[in-house]
Amino acid sequence: MLIELKDVNKTYNNGQPLHVLKGINLGIDKGEFVSIMGASGSGKSTLLNILGILDNYDTGEYYIDGRLIKGLTERQAADYRNRMIGFIFQSFNLIGFKTAVENVELPLFYQGVPRAKRHQMAMEFLDRLGLADWAKHYPNEMSGGQKQRVAIARALITNPKIILADEPTGALDSKTSEEVMQLLGKLNREEGVTIIVVTHESGVANCTDKIVHIKDGIIGQIEDNREHRASVFGTSTIMK
Amino acid sequence: MRDVFTEIWESIRRNKLRTALTGFAVSWGIFMLIVLLGAGNGLMNAFMTGGEDIATNTMQIGGGRTSKPYDGLKEGRRIDLDDRDVALTGSEVFADHIDQVISSVSTNATVSYGKKHFSGSIEGNFPARQEMDKIEILYGRFLNEKDIRESRKVVVLPEDRAETLLGNEVRDTGARMQMSSSSSAKRFDSSSGKKVRVQDLIGKNVRIGDCSFRVVGIAKANEASNSNTVYAPYTTIRTIYGRGRVVDDITFTFHGLESESENDEFEKQLRAAVNLRHRAAPDDTRATWVWNRFTQNLQMNKGRNLLTTALWVLGLLTLLGGIVGVSNIMLITVKERTHEFGIRKAIGASPWGIMKLILAESVTITAFFGYVGMLLGMVACTILDKTVGQSSVNIMDTDIAMLVNPTVGLDVALEATLVLIIAGSLAGLFPARKASRVRPIEALRAE
Repeated sequence: MLIELKDVNKTYNNGQPLHVLKGINLGIDKGEFVSIMGASGSGKSTLLNILGILDNYDTGEYYIDGRLIKGLTERQAADYRNRMIGFIFQSFNLIGFKTAVENVELPLFYQGVPRAKRHQMAMEFLDRLGLADWAKHYPNEMSGGQKQRVAIARALITNPKIILADEPTGALDSKTSEEVMQLLGKLNREEGVTIIVVTHESGVANCTDKIVHIKDGIIGQIEDNREHRASVFGTSTIMK
Repeated sequence: MRDVFTEIWESIRRNKLRTALTGFAVSWGIFMLIVLLGAGNGLMNAFMTGGEDIATNTMQIGGGRTSKPYDGLKEGRRIDLDDRDVALTGSEVFADHIDQVISSVSTNATVSYGKKHFSGSIEGNFPARQEMDKIEILYGRFLNEKDIRESRKVVVLPEDRAETLLGNEVRDTGARMQMSSSSSAKRFDSSSGKKVRVQDLIGKNVRIGDCSFRVVGIAKANEASNSNTVYAPYTTIRTIYGRGRVVDDITFTFHGLESESENDEFEKQLRAAVNLRHRAAPDDTRATWVWNRFTQNLQMNKGRNLLTTALWVLGLLTLLGGIVGVSNIMLITVKERTHEFGIRKAIGASPWGIMKLILAESVTITAFFGYVGMLLGMVACTILDKTVGQSSVNIMDTDIAMLVNPTVGLDVALEATLVLIIAGSLAGLFPARKASRVRPIEALRAE
């Protein structure tokens, strides 16, 4: 198991205590393409935060590749995020005053990779995603699909163990959404990247091989979706 | 390091106007600090012109008027020092501290050379005076032992007095030539070009009163020490002007008195001894005056330090305004960039990595604008030096410089640099801490 969650609980104490995750047990293998689906308020965002080491959990255990992720200092957490997890965000989260290639370089900068080396690597990744010509452009000069591909390049560059995608198509039109999901699927199939997509759209979830349903802080049904027939709106398109 | 500066440049470039406005406050603070310190230096230099030129281990005593009745005599009695006071001062009573004792007598007389003349004080003095008052001889020599022994009629003139004796002559020659010739400006120029130089006066005779004196030296004029005086041998003046045993002042060098209290104690003993000889109260400070250059120097230094400290405090307070401004701007920057810092943290920036960014930006802004201010301050000091520094006010016939060399040294520039770096770090500290505490979850929040 690459990822293992054992009875993970999380309560927010903002005035009224809110028990968001009520004992999550989940295992994800290396090379899987999984989606976590749930309505807003189901606890999927909190689960994503914990999976991404962006937030702490109260009780239970969380292992990545056999390493217990608990009680980390901020520095350790930053280091683990940097080396083990690649993030893809709904709003792309590229840094606006940096060019595409500089954005892709950033995780390597925090690893202390020398300037020339990281520039070369970033260019390679942009090239793989068909964005070599756009390397010197700023995010506001690119389309949504291009921005998300830059963000994917940034997530891939550190060769992380997991790619965590938070509503990766949330800000894209249906055509681009499909392209992005196909790209993720291709990365998963051809390069064996483990990808976890968090979404509330069934169409997006249908693109993945396994759908984990979460409701009221508890894991419900885990659906095998290798046939990609889960979408209630049909199998051929991502409905918006 | 280059990466950090690239980041800073990117950040500053996006906020040029507000960075410039904030930076101006820092520039202004440092500018004021440098100008204040420069002007303070100039003021102190003006006060102490020549002060450093006087040997600091000398004391001078002179006679005054008694201020209280003593030994059956009324107050207000004039005290004249004489040879016996010189002998007393030089006696074994004070031999523990006093090294060399000399005295001087002075008189007012008219000195003339050709048609030119001036009135001034002629001081009968000893060769040792040169060392004690640090009299700088420009041409020729000072008085020597032989002059004293043989009561030679020789004289050392201060430079400006020598110019007076010559300057008038030159101007008159020019005027005469102008009248005799066809008064062309060219002629006048060439005639004044033939000005007699002061060193040519050496070997010439000048008249002092009714006697003729040979000029043996030209001393550098110095406003602070009494170098407007004309020096002649002690014995000569005494003989010619018949002052008897009376001397005007007694000057001596001393040693072994380090602290102010030791000096005070010594002065008290000396005054008591001299006063008692003249039947004045031993503690009557008006009967004889004592001028201790050592303690005066101590006090001057104390005053100087006090002034410098006060100016630093003023300058730093002005700078404080700028620092608060920088801190404020950095706080706004951090607030604006919260989302960005969240992203950076999500992709692996450590808290220190973020903190470094803000601290470096704060120090860079402070240091850059500080240096601009420092440079402008130094330019202002130089302008001050070239204008006010060159002028002087005329008070009671003596020219007193307002400011002398009102500039700051390299040491102040280095200290100011240190101040800027510390100030920049302080200004950035709170914003940087705030930035480093941004939670990486911020990255997930949609803009």
